Amino acid sequence: MRTYILRRLLQIVPTVLMITFVVFVMMRSVPGDPVVALLGDAYTEEDAIKARDEYGLNKPIVVQYGIWLAKLVRGDWGVSILTGRPVLQDVLIRLPVTLELIVLSMAVALIIAVPAAIIGALRQNTWADYMATSVAMIGVSIPEFFIGILLLLVFSIGLGGFLPSSGWIYLPGTCPTLVCGASLWGNAQHVLMPAIALGVGRAAILTRLLRASMLEVIRSEYVTTARAKGLSERPVVFKHALKNALIPTVTVMGLQIGFLIGGAIVVETLFAMPGLGTFGIDAIIARDYQQVQGFALLTALAFVIMNLAVDLTYTFLDPRIRYA
Amino acid sequence: MANGGDAPRNRPQPIHGGSVGEADLPLTPDVAWGGRAKPSASPLVEGVRRLRRSSTALIGAAIVLVLLVVAIFADVLAPRSPIASDQTHTFERPSWDYPLGTDQLGRDMLSRIIHGTRISLLVGVSSVLLALFVGVPFGMIAGFYGGRVDSLIMRAMDLILAFPIYLLAIILMVIFTPTAGLIGTMKVTGAIAIVRIPIYARLVRGSVLSIKEKEYIEASRALGVRDPWILVRHVLPNCLAPIIVTTTLGIATSIIVEATLSFLGLGTQPPTPSWGWDLKANVAFIQANLWLSLFPGLAIFVTVLGFNLFGDGLRDALDPRLK
Repeated sequence: MRTYILRRLLQIVPTVLMITFVVFVMMRSVPGDPVVALLGDAYTEEDAIKARDEYGLNKPIVVQYGIWLAKLVRGDWGVSILTGRPVLQDVLIRLPVTLELIVLSMAVALIIAVPAAIIGALRQNTWADYMATSVAMIGVSIPEFFIGILLLLVFSIGLGGFLPSSGWIYLPGTCPTLVCGASLWGNAQHVLMPAIALGVGRAAILTRLLRASMLEVIRSEYVTTARAKGLSERPVVFKHALKNALIPTVTVMGLQIGFLIGGAIVVETLFAMPGLGTFGIDAIIARDYQQVQGFALLTALAFVIMNLAVDLTYTFLDPRIRYA
Repeated sequence: MANGGDAPRNRPQPIHGGSVGEADLPLTPDVAWGGRAKPSASPLVEGVRRLRRSSTALIGAAIVLVLLVVAIFADVLAPRSPIASDQTHTFERPSWDYPLGTDQLGRDMLSRIIHGTRISLLVGVSSVLLALFVGVPFGMIAGFYGGRVDSLIMRAMDLILAFPIYLLAIILMVIFTPTAGLIGTMKVTGAIAIVRIPIYARLVRGSVLSIKEKEYIEASRALGVRDPWILVRHVLPNCLAPIIVTTTLGIATSIIVEATLSFLGLGTQPPTPSWGWDLKANVAFIQANLWLSLFPGLAIFVTVLGFNLFGDGLRDALDPRLK
């Protein structure tokens, strides 16, 4: 097991290198010159050459990537061309916001999906099942930003500004500067709508999957055996059926991380949250190479680590699965 | 057919219990007494028959059909021009003259939504088709020949799959630089198609791996049929069912991705009417003019729902193993 984890952790390295390299090359093929954006319209060619030299932009792409990598190994994520701030510092400020959003939206998804799927599977073809499946169908068909807008309409506008539509209050302890709002209640008010907007779509996908695999599992022989030996319904459902039905579901949860990152970009944009999503999209549009690299690095890391976590969850859900 | 739960009640139910194989055997009384057995219909005919019994699939098909009609006849159906602004009628509330109101430039929302159908369907359908035309041949070749060709193709596919799809789509759109009009639409289509190619390649490769071991492939080889003909005539038709299902559901996803890109300002650019862009542009005025964001959002939702319902029905009808 330990060697397996070690081997998988080592495999992360080439994947992350590959993603960051492809992003590096792709960003440099974006038309336009960040130096021009930095210097403004009234730049002289001399200034531009000097600036390019300063940021190492006149070297071959592979050399530039090598320099970026060499600095990264020493813990230096580079400095933003446009703001002059260290990328790592900006990323660390924004990471907690997005982490909170993603964790809470996954919680929202699970809170909705697990009961809905169990009811749907146990009471198949009843009105409760039809309700669960129809709502799930609607859920997978609504884009995150439209759920967000509907929530805005109800809670920010309809209920007279019950929940704030934009702005952000940090969780205590994650405040980046000395003068910023941080309170638990204020944070909860700000994060509730984005988390629901991002979570509902995930909940719908999970409900559909979990219901289908529950239906399969519930008809299997070991569930019949568990019932026959006189177990009450609760342990049969939760210990025997649900745990096994979760395996395909966990796989898809892992694959969903790619969509979650995109969803986070959209939801953060809609609710004007100072998270990694808005950081990433702003950086890409502004062609801030260093910031984009930081964003891509973090995204790639999150992506591979989540996939590893998914594989490791299998051993917990099904002890027969062993990694040598 | 194999899942007892979804089979119609009036048909004999499969016996549960016993070995897995037995449990999946449907009871077919017609077969036991020869002579009453109907000639077996082709899987396609059988699929269409099952599709017609599914009410959700029919609702989905109806929605898709209506949208197609709206997209094709947008010029006739739209009461006004979707791009002509009218400074004397900005922010009109929904009324007889403007059933869905007007936006900040005085453009008729109904006409914009009707014309937006075109962009959504065009990008949704053509991006999936494009991904299909690249992904399916790659998948077939990789699965059929195996070996070095297989690993070369699939590593390339893994490279794309290693990216979170929105990160890749966003960067591609920045490289392509979003523009208005047909060229802009083609750029969005291309970006979405690229991120979706591996899905089809993987799907087809998986099917081909099992199909190529079948006796009929061996038989055609023994008869001296050339590989391209085997691939097109014998392999492709047998992996069509999952392709059709994934395509339909893929259109729904592509429409959402297009709307999301437009919402981020990286999709089709104005003045070309696009639902995602309209939603983004009108969020700023949501306080006083909530219908402006509501209607484009509803349009996206209904379209995606239509394709999802239809795709779900197709899956149940064509390929009961995909669940």
